[in-house]
Amino acid sequence: MIRRLLVVLAVLGLSIGTAAPAMAYEPVDIVHTERVQVGPYGVTVGFSTWPVRAMQSLDFTFIPDGGIEDKSGTLVRTLPSGAHYHPAPLARHPRKRDVWGLDVFALQTEGDWKFTFAIDGPQGHGEGTAPVSVLSQPGPPLALSWVVCAIPFFALVAFLVIAWRRGRKVSAVAVA
Amino acid sequence: MRPVAAGFVLVGTGISLIGTSWDVQWHIDVGPDTFFTLPHLFIYAGSAIAGIASLVAVLAVTAAQRRGETPDPTDGGVPIRVFGGRFTAPLGYLVTGVGAAMFLLYGLIDLWWHTVYGFDAVLNSPPHVALFTTVSITMIGAVIIAAASREQRWGRIAMAISVPVLMTFFPITANAFQGLPLPFNPVVVATAWIIVLLLVVTRVAIDRPGAAALTAAVLLVMQGILWLFTPWAAETYAGAVGLPLRDGLGDESPYIPAGIPLAGLLAAAVIELLIKRGPVIAVGIAGLILGVTFQLQQSWLHFAGPSTLSVLVATAIAGGLFGMLGGYLGARFGVILRVREKVAA
Repeated sequence: MIRRLLVVLAVLGLSIGTAAPAMAYEPVDIVHTERVQVGPYGVTVGFSTWPVRAMQSLDFTFIPDGGIEDKSGTLVRTLPSGAHYHPAPLARHPRKRDVWGLDVFALQTEGDWKFTFAIDGPQGHGEGTAPVSVLSQPGPPLALSWVVCAIPFFALVAFLVIAWRRGRKVSAVAVA
Repeated sequence: MRPVAAGFVLVGTGISLIGTSWDVQWHIDVGPDTFFTLPHLFIYAGSAIAGIASLVAVLAVTAAQRRGETPDPTDGGVPIRVFGGRFTAPLGYLVTGVGAAMFLLYGLIDLWWHTVYGFDAVLNSPPHVALFTTVSITMIGAVIIAAASREQRWGRIAMAISVPVLMTFFPITANAFQGLPLPFNPVVVATAWIIVLLLVVTRVAIDRPGAAALTAAVLLVMQGILWLFTPWAAETYAGAVGLPLRDGLGDESPYIPAGIPLAGLLAAAVIELLIKRGPVIAVGIAGLILGVTFQLQQSWLHFAGPSTLSVLVATAIAGGLFGMLGGYLGARFGVILRVREKVAA
């Protein structure tokens, strides 16, 4: 029995070892662009999926005219409700290091988002806002996804309740 | 047979925990995702190892019973008749196996989710919450298996490892409460609640002085190992596959190990010293200590905003109250873990 178990684990280990080199990271493939003026700087905003849908992640690229070498800046994301995130430094895209970007990033809610850029560079400081329209989420209704995915949690709670009730009956007599 | 199957279950849950910590740090420090990353393979291999070991144990106990042997409840827990008596499954292995099987099922749902929504790495997507829950179920099974063999030295060692693994993993789901408009920090209070509960479970199930303190000490060691391993693994793996680290990474602490309270040992000491004299006060103080210290720890490590006095006081009070609730539940579940007889529903 133990030997069989070890054989199964060895096969599992081998399959893990050989699967590792099969990893591949997709290149950033921009299918749509928009232009935004950020003070003196023209910026091209790229999207790897178009149109953008709520909860569906994609790659964003932010390319100022003349490149990012001599510039720095921040991005503020504003939700359709008007609430906004803290300013985040514009960082290079991990898989496209010559431009700024957000990698596999999802905007969670449907509606009109705003990306507000602040850029400092050789021509001084500039600010500008790009509207980003986000359509409804793909896939089944979110409530249905949650119901299906909450089954293990409710199964766990049911198990603990059953254990509790049975334990109460025996705790006085059957403790070894 | 017994220590071998239990050992594989324990190793499986440990691999799942390491893989999860590594995966979370990978997304923070490096980023890109596919289904076939090494951290993902760790997570899946962990559940597969625990699941296969459980299946083998259940088949062995079933075969033994068919030969006319009486199942031994110290071998994985109270025997349960499954599928109308076709199988006899020790409770611990049944729970571990069901958790692992559900994990693989929800792994497929997660794969489908990523094809629809992409590979945005969020902890609290519906399939991710389901995956965390199913791994927690497997880890609960590991605790049941360990507690069943508490008279054996290896059983107590397995308990001192399986409980801290669950303590580390279970509170990850508490991140779903982040941002709730409450006067206290819900993540801190939920973590304090789980830790007090599991410390009391251990103390009552093992029924030996020092069991809770040993568990908390192992938790601290586990935290140290993850603290060193996780960022190293993320960076080394990135280097191996030729990916750069993200821009703007500061000196942030690794996410999962930083989410473990550093003062667990202090809380365990209070429980050890006071549980016989005043159990309610003991667990209340333990929860209060964890509430205050973990809130300060989260602020210090920049995982929470600054701790204002009102947040600190509210979190301390809530920590104390939830500590009492955790102690109450933990005492009962600790007794249940000691049950050796079959009980009619």
